Amino acid sequence: MKATIAQYYAGDSLLHRLDPRAKLVAVSALAVALFVRDSFAGLAVYAAAAVLAYLLSGVPLVWFWRAFRPLLWLVALTFVAQVVFAPGEPFFSFGFIHLSWRGLELAAFLSLRLVVLVLVGSVLTLTTPSMALTDGLAWLGRPLRRLRVPTDELALMVTIALRFIPTLLVELDTIMRAQRARGADFRRGGLRERTRSLVPVLVPLFVLSFRRADELALAMEARCYRPGAVRTRLHPLRAGWADAALLVAAAIVIAAGLLV
Amino acid sequence: MSGLEAIAGAAPDKPGGPGAAGSAGMSLAGEAVSFSYEEARAPVPALCDVSFELRAGGSLALMGASGSGKSTLLQVVRGLDAPESGAVLLDGADPSDPRYTALQREVGLVFQAPERQLFASTARDDVAFGPRRLGWPDEQVTSAVATALDLVGLPPARFAERHPYALSGGEQRRLALAGVLAMRPRLLLLDEPFVSLDPGTRRQLVGILERLKAAGVTLLLATHDVDLAWALCDEILVLGEGRVAAAGPWDFSTAGGRLLAANRLREPFFVELWRRLGRDTHRAPRTAAQAAQALR
Repeated sequence: MKATIAQYYAGDSLLHRLDPRAKLVAVSALAVALFVRDSFAGLAVYAAAAVLAYLLSGVPLVWFWRAFRPLLWLVALTFVAQVVFAPGEPFFSFGFIHLSWRGLELAAFLSLRLVVLVLVGSVLTLTTPSMALTDGLAWLGRPLRRLRVPTDELALMVTIALRFIPTLLVELDTIMRAQRARGADFRRGGLRERTRSLVPVLVPLFVLSFRRADELALAMEARCYRPGAVRTRLHPLRAGWADAALLVAAAIVIAAGLLV
Repeated sequence: MSGLEAIAGAAPDKPGGPGAAGSAGMSLAGEAVSFSYEEARAPVPALCDVSFELRAGGSLALMGASGSGKSTLLQVVRGLDAPESGAVLLDGADPSDPRYTALQREVGLVFQAPERQLFASTARDDVAFGPRRLGWPDEQVTSAVATALDLVGLPPARFAERHPYALSGGEQRRLALAGVLAMRPRLLLLDEPFVSLDPGTRRQLVGILERLKAAGVTLLLATHDVDLAWALCDEILVLGEGRVAAAGPWDFSTAGGRLLAANRLREPFFVELWRRLGRDTHRAPRTAAQAAQALR
């Protein structure tokens, strides 16, 4: 069973050891800059930074490819939509399709921008365990608590959801196998038949999930969980010089991309 | 049990097809079966060169420590996973045989905690799922469902219209078993069927398996419970880290005992008792009734 959602590549690279908050800030800032800047030169700077981050992460290229593959369609669609519908002097026309150099340029630019964005995002998720990510997000969301946003509870919810994705996938696999052993066929038939064939899988999966949620809630209460209570952490987040250096480096890269 | 013949195979309305008269049990053989799970970094081997034989109508206990490959072997036998190398022979036919797919459909697999796969809104519908997928005509589905429910001790008159999730844990387990039995398997694979059952339900389940065995259905039973394995199975297959550690008749010699211990198993209770009484362990009784008779 392959769980490719929110995947993490266990490693000990420089990027792995950085504080999740620093990584989150750097990556979000870079993502914003990517969308603000609309020149190839700026894009090139950000792409170079993304490639450098990839090299520093020590994660095999295959893992990036695995994260990237589901988004391939989106990139392809973006490219085609831009080529076909972009304004500009057409050098080739066929029906409603008008190809222009401007359109091609725009398509290439937007697709590349998406690729760089996915690459940067993948570096973050591949080098940061999901628990650390949510811890980082909770910390960054702290100011919202003044507005009575239950940030700690939200962070815990996200953590639990992420934690149980692999468990549910295993469960799903087992149920599908069991129903296949009883003659179910999930690949044959039209859309209607295929949808119907999912009933024997989804019903048990829902029942099990609710039961599991109930048990988890009981177990948490038994261990004195109270919503709204102040929680301490086993591994408190600690930022160091390397994290400061990351933020400075990110600032320099972003500025460079905006100025070139 | 009146409907037992139907479960065990004699389905006269399907001449020559699955469950034709005279073909009650299916024989099974593994020929150097190997299988690995695809994992993110490297494949994890689960079965290495597993070879064994189980005659038609025989019963084999599949034992070994947790993670030794028992469940994987059952899934490979049922065809849910294809072996990387080697082959599973059903009634002597290998996967290249045109009958193979049809033979696979006559292999019933009861998963661990099978009650977790119940989905229909009535017990009847859940049990009917398999037979309907086999494309059987309605009357035949109806009779197969009734027979299977009867066999597992859930008489249709009382249980057919009940909601599966309204049944007790033991009843759910038996209902799930009925869902597999309704497809009239000639080879039944069971993955830890006794886990978390109360003693009463456990005894009922043993009774059901004994009746299936008597009717000629071949049994392959993966379990940690050596006493039930000894009570139900003629032979034993011990897996250790995906390899065959022992295969064949039960062996309670010193070497055999050491082998059991090395695989986190132990002698069945009655065997130990016989050894302590200084009697021949290979004639040890399989049930309390037999023991009582021998000791009287």
